[in-house]
Amino acid sequence: MIGNDIVDLKTAEIQNNWQRKGWVQKIFTVSEQNQVMISENPHHLVWKFWSMKEATYKAHQRQFLLAPKFNPKDFVCTDSIITIGNYSYFSISKLMNDRCLYTIASSITLRNVLYTSRVFKNSFYYYKNELKKIIAEELKIHSSRITIEKNDNGIPMIMIDHKLTDIQFSLTSHGSFTAFVIVL
Amino acid sequence: MTQEELLSKLKTIVEPYVQNQEEFQKLSGDTDFINDLDINSANLVDVILDVEDEFGIEIDNDGMEKMLTVSASIDVILEKLAAK
Repeated sequence: MIGNDIVDLKTAEIQNNWQRKGWVQKIFTVSEQNQVMISENPHHLVWKFWSMKEATYKAHQRQFLLAPKFNPKDFVCTDSIITIGNYSYFSISKLMNDRCLYTIASSITLRNVLYTSRVFKNSFYYYKNELKKIIAEELKIHSSRITIEKNDNGIPMIMIDHKLTDIQFSLTSHGSFTAFVIVL
Repeated sequence: MTQEELLSKLKTIVEPYVQNQEEFQKLSGDTDFINDLDINSANLVDVILDVEDEFGIEIDNDGMEKMLTVSASIDVILEKLAAK
């Protein structure tokens, strides 16, 4: 299963004061906190860990169709591996032009997954259309037959002719950036 | 503290992080912080820290993971206040 998360570093700087007393303790493990403390760029590392946890949360929630929960501390980052309970996820994080941090997390090592991912700037609706276009081309159907609807747990699902599919994908948006990842 | 007082305090806490004012105007127990009010998930941490400061309580991981809606948050706050 796959998940993604993007952090607009400028927006994060304005909206989130991670140096606020108690903030890191609420969401990071002791080891993660220590790594942030000794990091040369704590701002980047905070948001890298955060996007790893969020991307994995989405993959894990989709994998087990879980009800929403706010438990970032349960997702433990060790290098690029994230563990939640007995499950492990693999991740790739990229710092893009110093403007955003983008993470893709997957239950299978990403080397062995055929996925497509794209990041957009200032395109809040367009990115979903691009995703539909890719699915339409792959399945050789008209993109008007594809819709994205959230299920009862708030997980977005791809529907074709309003019928649920098990297409693995994930959407993310923050500040000026949007992105999708899809396994095809 | 009555339910109404608690709700009004919670509304004041949440307001600075709300990105969907229309939904905020019709806030109810079912209102979901992330899906309805478009609160950035990283700001949920701030909501939780503000709640701790305002009510003088400590919210542990079990409490925190439930605090995604108005009614669930009120339940957690009441539970922590009772245990004080």
